[in-house]
Amino acid sequence: MTQAFLIVVRIALAGLVGFWAYRLWTGTRSWTSRGVGMIFSAALLWQIIGGRW
Amino acid sequence: MRSFKTLLWLEHRRSWVWAVALLGSLAFWAWGIKQVLVWDVGERLAIRSGLLFTAGAIGVVVLCMMIGRIRSETRHGQYQVLLLTPPSGYAHVGARYLYAAGVAFAYFIAIGFLYWWITALAGIHLDVRSLFELVLAAPFYAISVSVLPLLAWTLLLMVFISAYRISGPGWIPGTVMLLGTPFALRWLLNGIFRISYSMPGWRLFANVPMAVIERLGQPDPETALRIEQVAYDGVPIEPMLIMLALTAVLLAIAGRIWQEVEA
Repeated sequence: MTQAFLIVVRIALAGLVGFWAYRLWTGTRSWTSRGVGMIFSAALLWQIIGGRW
Repeated sequence: MRSFKTLLWLEHRRSWVWAVALLGSLAFWAWGIKQVLVWDVGERLAIRSGLLFTAGAIGVVVLCMMIGRIRSETRHGQYQVLLLTPPSGYAHVGARYLYAAGVAFAYFIAIGFLYWWITALAGIHLDVRSLFELVLAAPFYAISVSVLPLLAWTLLLMVFISAYRISGPGWIPGTVMLLGTPFALRWLLNGIFRISYSMPGWRLFANVPMAVIERLGQPDPETALRIEQVAYDGVPIEPMLIMLALTAVLLAIAGRIWQEVEA
């Protein structure tokens, strides 16, 4: 039960960060800002998906 | 070069009150130090050191607030005007950073002098070499591994958020960078710890343990051994070099974003 709940939380958080990454990509015309946004989004996603909870 | 000097002057015009207030606050801390009247010398020295450490921590927060005022500049329209000026984004970022870094150096060198003062008040007399290490080398090392990268990170955060001010979601870049930084920092620190002491350490305060023992007496054998080990190994050079390189990278990215964003 707890495991299933954590999986649902992870999927929800990954979806939220994915949406933020999309907004960061489309919200500016600066490629460097897009790159910075993707790096920090990737760090968050890595932690959400692969991190130990 | 001339435009850089002009930007530096502009930064001084806008931030001198912060700088003077920060440096002036050390008078308050010096007053606070004199109010510590614990009887035991070692305890008194520890409390006074703690006060100076707190002064340093608060100073870092103030410096970050000083360098990260782009949000308020955006609201008042100054940022948009600066984006349209001829100097490059690197010059703008460099001038802001150089001013804040200069104030940080002055502040932490002054704190180094206050440390020297509290050791003198405790009856510990440092030799000339230790004094120079306390007021120059130690502040330089401490600033290099902590304050300089933190200021560069703050500047990048503000410039990064400002890149999204036209499209609206200002809180999203701020949130993503704030939440993502601890994880990125953890990986960085793990790497730094792994390679620390690959090169010979920087031997700081090698003569201080003797001066402290002369005044406070011989510690227990285990502590004495640990102190001797630390004095012999020195501080690792690698964290300083990596953090200085990271600072340069963060500033270069911030300058690049400044170049690219629309006024």
